Amino acid sequence: MTLVAASPLGRRPAQLFGGWEVGLLGLMALLYAGGAFLNPDFFGIGGEALQSLLRDSSRYGVMAVGMTFVIANKDLDLSVGSTLGLMGVVFSYVFNTAHYDMGVVPAIIVCLALGTLIGLINGVLVTFLKVPAFIATLTMLLIGRGFILGLTGGRAILYPIKARDYAWFFQLGEVNAWGLNNQVMLALVVVALGAFVLAKTRWGYETFATGGNEQAAIYAGIPTNWVRIRAYIISSLCATIAAFMTVAQNKGITSQAGLLYELIVIASVIIGGASILGGRGRVIGSYLGAVLTALIHKVLREGVPIVREIEVGGKIIQVKATSTLPAGAVPVFIGGLLILAVLIEPYIIRQKMPQRIWAWIRKRPAPPPVETGGVALEGSQTKGSMVSDRAVHARGVGKFLARRDALAIILTVVLWLVGLWLRPDFWAGLPNTFAILLNYTELAILTIGLTYVIACADIDLSVGAVLALAGSTAAYCLKVLGLDPVTAIAMGILVGTGAGAVNALFTVGFGLPAFIATLGMFYMARGAASWLTSGKQLTGWAEHFNLIGRKVGDILRFFGLQSPEGLLGAVTDVVSIQTIWMVVVAIIAGVVLGYTTFGQRVYATGGNRRAADYAGVSTNRVRVTALILAAFCAAMAGVINAAYFRSFNPVAGQFRELDAIASVIIGGGSIFGGFGTVIGSLAGAAVITLVRSLLQLNIEGFSLPQHYVNTFIGVILIVAVLADIWIRQANIIGRIRTALSQRRPLQREPAHA
Amino acid sequence: MHDVINQGPAIIEMRHINKSFGAVNALIDVDLMLRSGEILGLVGDNAAGKSTLMKILTGAYHRDSGEILVAGNPVHFRSPHESREVGIEMIYQDFALCGNMDVGQNVFLGRWPRWGVFFVNRRKMYAEAGEVLQRLKVDVSSVYQKVESLSGGRQQSVAIARSISFEPRVVVLDEPTANLSVMATERLLETMLELKKQGVAQVIISHRLQDIFAVGDRVMVLKRGENVGDRYIAHTSEQQVLEIIISGTREAAITADEALTKAA
Repeated sequence: MTLVAASPLGRRPAQLFGGWEVGLLGLMALLYAGGAFLNPDFFGIGGEALQSLLRDSSRYGVMAVGMTFVIANKDLDLSVGSTLGLMGVVFSYVFNTAHYDMGVVPAIIVCLALGTLIGLINGVLVTFLKVPAFIATLTMLLIGRGFILGLTGGRAILYPIKARDYAWFFQLGEVNAWGLNNQVMLALVVVALGAFVLAKTRWGYETFATGGNEQAAIYAGIPTNWVRIRAYIISSLCATIAAFMTVAQNKGITSQAGLLYELIVIASVIIGGASILGGRGRVIGSYLGAVLTALIHKVLREGVPIVREIEVGGKIIQVKATSTLPAGAVPVFIGGLLILAVLIEPYIIRQKMPQRIWAWIRKRPAPPPVETGGVALEGSQTKGSMVSDRAVHARGVGKFLARRDALAIILTVVLWLVGLWLRPDFWAGLPNTFAILLNYTELAILTIGLTYVIACADIDLSVGAVLALAGSTAAYCLKVLGLDPVTAIAMGILVGTGAGAVNALFTVGFGLPAFIATLGMFYMARGAASWLTSGKQLTGWAEHFNLIGRKVGDILRFFGLQSPEGLLGAVTDVVSIQTIWMVVVAIIAGVVLGYTTFGQRVYATGGNRRAADYAGVSTNRVRVTALILAAFCAAMAGVINAAYFRSFNPVAGQFRELDAIASVIIGGGSIFGGFGTVIGSLAGAAVITLVRSLLQLNIEGFSLPQHYVNTFIGVILIVAVLADIWIRQANIIGRIRTALSQRRPLQREPAHA
Repeated sequence: MHDVINQGPAIIEMRHINKSFGAVNALIDVDLMLRSGEILGLVGDNAAGKSTLMKILTGAYHRDSGEILVAGNPVHFRSPHESREVGIEMIYQDFALCGNMDVGQNVFLGRWPRWGVFFVNRRKMYAEAGEVLQRLKVDVSSVYQKVESLSGGRQQSVAIARSISFEPRVVVLDEPTANLSVMATERLLETMLELKKQGVAQVIISHRLQDIFAVGDRVMVLKRGENVGDRYIAHTSEQQVLEIIISGTREAAITADEALTKAA
């Protein structure tokens, strides 16, 4: 069946390989030349760079194949990195002599089954259960990481000796007779298969239809839920294959395996020409994107050889060294790259930028940009169909129960009583109350800002990272620059708030979905934080700064005052400055959100942005304010964190964004926007804090390891989001009740319609 | 009352409006006149240019040429906010309300009454929202009810209440009955007559001739971006209007007054 390329219908569009891929190859050649110029030993001909580049990129490449399917469906899978790690750990558990000590084949089978299961869970969550993809898969990422740390205990599992008996499998990590690593061969096979399926088969066509317009695809009889679930399964199976490659190469697994891979893989796919808005993407482009990203990674990491002059015994000796970027810098660049790559599709391809520049060079009239038909960049706001208006008619207790934050308030009380019941000796005492209140304060400050963002129907995934950035900035100013505490606090808050301004710029200014812009910031801010502190813990500075993180009693003592007696004295020993500060901020933020026109503008923006725009609400300004406020709150929490610990640790605030999002949702916020109160979010934060301290409670000598606590919080987040979608929005309990009462002979009040 | 022909002063006059989107001429030399207190039906096939014409009136689109007079004064609206200031309101097909907010908050969307500089005057907001709804004679059971828990017809009423709380002189309704049940349509038409009594001029874009014939004073037909004539409802029939929609041409177009003289 030979088809002529130029038929009367014009040239058929390229399905496998196109201009974009050619451009990528060109860019790679340039970059490689740049690398060779900077570091000829490593990148030069005969250097190991090409070999290791292809080997390292093969894992990203395999995962990019699956991710292309997911992104072409207008979904996102953030869990791939932790799936890789978890599958590596599971493989090792099954295979390792110290654990189950089975062969390679059972290990592979178990991993493939589990990988399928993870993909299935992701898929079912985002399709049938309607959880937004980023929140479902981010939670899976957290849960996966929790399991990895819990299972490995943070250590590596290695089995080089047993691996010798299974050479046929572990050869996967070796260089073959053609001088190429076997991983590269496997990657090429997977890429070829994926490219064929996506470009040439019905599976691929169904994917593009689903990503382009899901509604139209449903009308056309495409089972879009299955198409999306299938993509998630493909994605997590690809991560499983990448896990096999990792295990084969290292003959073992570390607890760090797959860390940040999701970022690199998503960046690769987007660079490879896929659109985050779905409906576009080519597997070969994604693979080239992965190679390109790995190359950038390498050029950044390998660094420039320099000659350093050292004085030894009065003589100046020249020493060869390489100037490399610190570890934290890499996520900064890759995160930035991700955001820039996402901008390519709307601002360069849709605007026909290359064609226009070419036309401008030739002094011809520019072709018009692709008519977008006024379609906004953001996906449509998904809304739950109904919220019952019971609150209007209910009285007394019913009125309280109909509040969206009722659940959080009840849970707070119940959880506290559970704690009292489990450890009556300890729970209500001063030290524990102090610890709970302290943990609560940090989370509460984060949720205050996030409440505004979520009520605006945006999301900020970067609050935990911004916390770290602000804390590290303050610590850097104090320790390295030797600035005074006030300036250090101001700098920390300024830099953190600046991160919020960047979020706002990309979300509102460039119209990127909030989750992708703040995801970029999630990596950039944390990377920058560990870059600033060079990955180390900074400590030892003026005690004056630390005062903002102390108990009231400590401060009285610091200034040589006598702390009061009795109950008041107990209060001063429990309440710290940051708690008071948090209460002040919460009251202001709560009043503004609940009672001012600005608060009304926030709810209008989150409820229906178009309607709010028509009504003259400047929704852009509202969203910018909310995003900056969230970062401002995170920055305050960061500075306080550094002051409390009298030091700054780069892992500060890790996973805090999930705690904060869960708090807002439990407290009555909706992941789709338009709801949320400060009181509710504070109650939600109390729930999360109490759950954490309950899980860490030592009962008869047993306490749950910290890693599993994170896993548990992840589960709570998903349950909260599901409850919001199905109980509050879709009113499933009301519908069941109606369905039941309709079966009975009529006895119901007339509906309000 | 249909027998009395409204000869009041023109509140809106659109003259020789042209608009093209790329190679497509959406509107070609279209004239439109609306008198105060008049209900004008705007009909025509899909892509006849009805919505485009109204969006040009409200300033959502910009005309290529032609002029618009509001109460005799030429205007150049750059956005719907500017047309709102002279008293032109448009009600969108999907109502453009915030489902998460209650009726009172939606009636005053974007211009909530203030108490002091920052605070919302809730008492005033709910009291006035209740008044507006009463004026429209719609029975929303409570101004504290969330809009997304209301039926489509009630949501429509809130959208209308919202637009008349601006005390407009002209209301444009884009396919107001498209998503409504029969009962809700009845109620909407009653509301429109109520508004008319209060002297508000209305333009209703609709595919359903029977709605226009139930409340309208005049009907104007657009076809492929051209005005192919208008008729007084009292002196025409659905059959006649359908004929114009199907076979009318710019050349054969006559105005309602010409048709009236011809008939007499």
